[in-house]
Amino acid sequence: MIKLLKIEFRKILTYKVFWILIGLYFIFLSAGILMAEFMINNMVDNMNRHLPIPLPHVTIYFFPWVWQNLAFFATIRYILIFPAIIIIILITNEFTFKTIRQNVINGMSKSEFLISKLLLILLISLIMSVLLAIGTFIIGLSHTQVTGWGMVFERIPFILGFFISIFSFQVFAFFFGFMLRNTGLAIALFSLYTFIVEPVVYYFLKSPLVFKNGISPYLPVNSVLRVTEYPAIPVLKTLMGLNLQDSVSLWISCIPLLYCSVMIGMVFLIMNKRDL
Amino acid sequence: METILSIKQLSKRYGRIQAVKDLSVEISRGQIFGILGPNGSGKSTTLSITLDMVRSDMGSYSWFGENNSKECRKRIGSVIETPNFYPYLSPVRNLEIVADVKDLDHSDIDRVLELTGLYERRNTKFKTFSFGMRQRLAIASALLGNPEVLIFDEPTNGLDPQGIAQIRELILLVAAQGTTIIIASHLLDEVQKICSHVAVLSKGVKLFDGKVSEVLAISDSFEIAAADMGSLSAVIATHPEFASFKPKEDYILVYFNGDVKPGELNQFLYQQGVVLTHLSERKRSLEQHFLELLNENA
Repeated sequence: MIKLLKIEFRKILTYKVFWILIGLYFIFLSAGILMAEFMINNMVDNMNRHLPIPLPHVTIYFFPWVWQNLAFFATIRYILIFPAIIIIILITNEFTFKTIRQNVINGMSKSEFLISKLLLILLISLIMSVLLAIGTFIIGLSHTQVTGWGMVFERIPFILGFFISIFSFQVFAFFFGFMLRNTGLAIALFSLYTFIVEPVVYYFLKSPLVFKNGISPYLPVNSVLRVTEYPAIPVLKTLMGLNLQDSVSLWISCIPLLYCSVMIGMVFLIMNKRDL
Repeated sequence: METILSIKQLSKRYGRIQAVKDLSVEISRGQIFGILGPNGSGKSTTLSITLDMVRSDMGSYSWFGENNSKECRKRIGSVIETPNFYPYLSPVRNLEIVADVKDLDHSDIDRVLELTGLYERRNTKFKTFSFGMRQRLAIASALLGNPEVLIFDEPTNGLDPQGIAQIRELILLVAAQGTTIIIASHLLDEVQKICSHVAVLSKGVKLFDGKVSEVLAISDSFEIAAADMGSLSAVIATHPEFASFKPKEDYILVYFNGDVKPGELNQFLYQQGVVLTHLSERKRSLEQHFLELLNENA
């Protein structure tokens, strides 16, 4: 395991494309998180122009809600696409450079090769979760008058939700990468599916005419986004009695992980059958 | 002799093309084994199957008499077709990955880079390398950790004459240390110069295998003619070294198993009462011989 990770590290350590994309990811992620409050309040201002009683401005960076809010904004599809594209590039590169053949010739089994990529995904997800937790903690501290640690950490399970989302989304990318083997094609189809195909199918299936109980939330990308489906805005709760999401649901978190196991299983099956 | 690679009844079909058919080969320790055949004869497919890149339809193979092909591959150095490396990494970093995969430590990297003349360029990115340098890095990577077996698939393809000579020298150098070497090549000359043993493939079928000196032995032929061609063909068949003959328009083409001199032949026929009107020795080039081998079995 450690050996496989070490090999993966050697592949990315001096790979410029990887670090540029990681850098862009951090920029977009931070910008998304730090501008979220401003954007929401912008929306509130717009709405207030048509409302007789103006809504108050919201704040989203205080404990314990900050965990849920930052997990929510860190897992919108426009930001989640970055680590997914990185994974697609790292996987399809191995086919473009034919280095997957070389790895196998030199004594790696195909399964070990797949495991090494999954370990990398797991590690990236873990590192990102830890970084998000640290960032959230700092942002929360600077926006909250802490009265008790229990209150501070109340909604920390949303970090686990973030981990499940970022991990699953990268596993979807892993699936696209190994199935399509071509960098451009895999990125194009993955983005097309995430941004166009699934949203269209989602609204189509959502129509009560098609399915009474709605299976649209169970679509792959949607199941990932639904782990942290809503931000927590206490004002809405007190004002309108809206209670959108209090916690990470075990069942809802299982859906993307279920997709992951099916996709990983398919990749193992097909890769072990296919010639390199 | 210890068997290094044993291939049993291997078959592989790509759609309508039978790439390898019922192929069995045994390679022993210390041999320099050539797999000889024209393009598309199944050489690369056979090697790809034994290196677990391609699945065979039928048959089996085993390295070192063991079943764990993954662990066995770590004891083999291979140069297969094009050199495959991470273009954005330097030779040293690329070889570090190879060493990690093969469970070797990194101490041997400098040696193989020096051996292949790449030490000066050890920290330049692979993508800046010329074709010859890429091929040399592939060889360096194969030599890493002094493997028991080296596999070369068309090792001199696309190299200039100097590069070809260097690589052949290198192969012979390594072979002198007792390393078993397997070379796939469509160049008869290459096999003849380097190999001790050879298997000749055509359309995925093995035609011959054995020692190079035996399989590729050149028996010269003679053009002979006499006034009475009928008695000539009868008499020539009684020659102790006689192999076969082909009647041509105004002469007979005779093949012998052993080494027959024109003088001896003339004398033999004269003693049998045949006076030659034409005698000409035909030297066949290796290529001719090879093509004849292929044609006879086509």
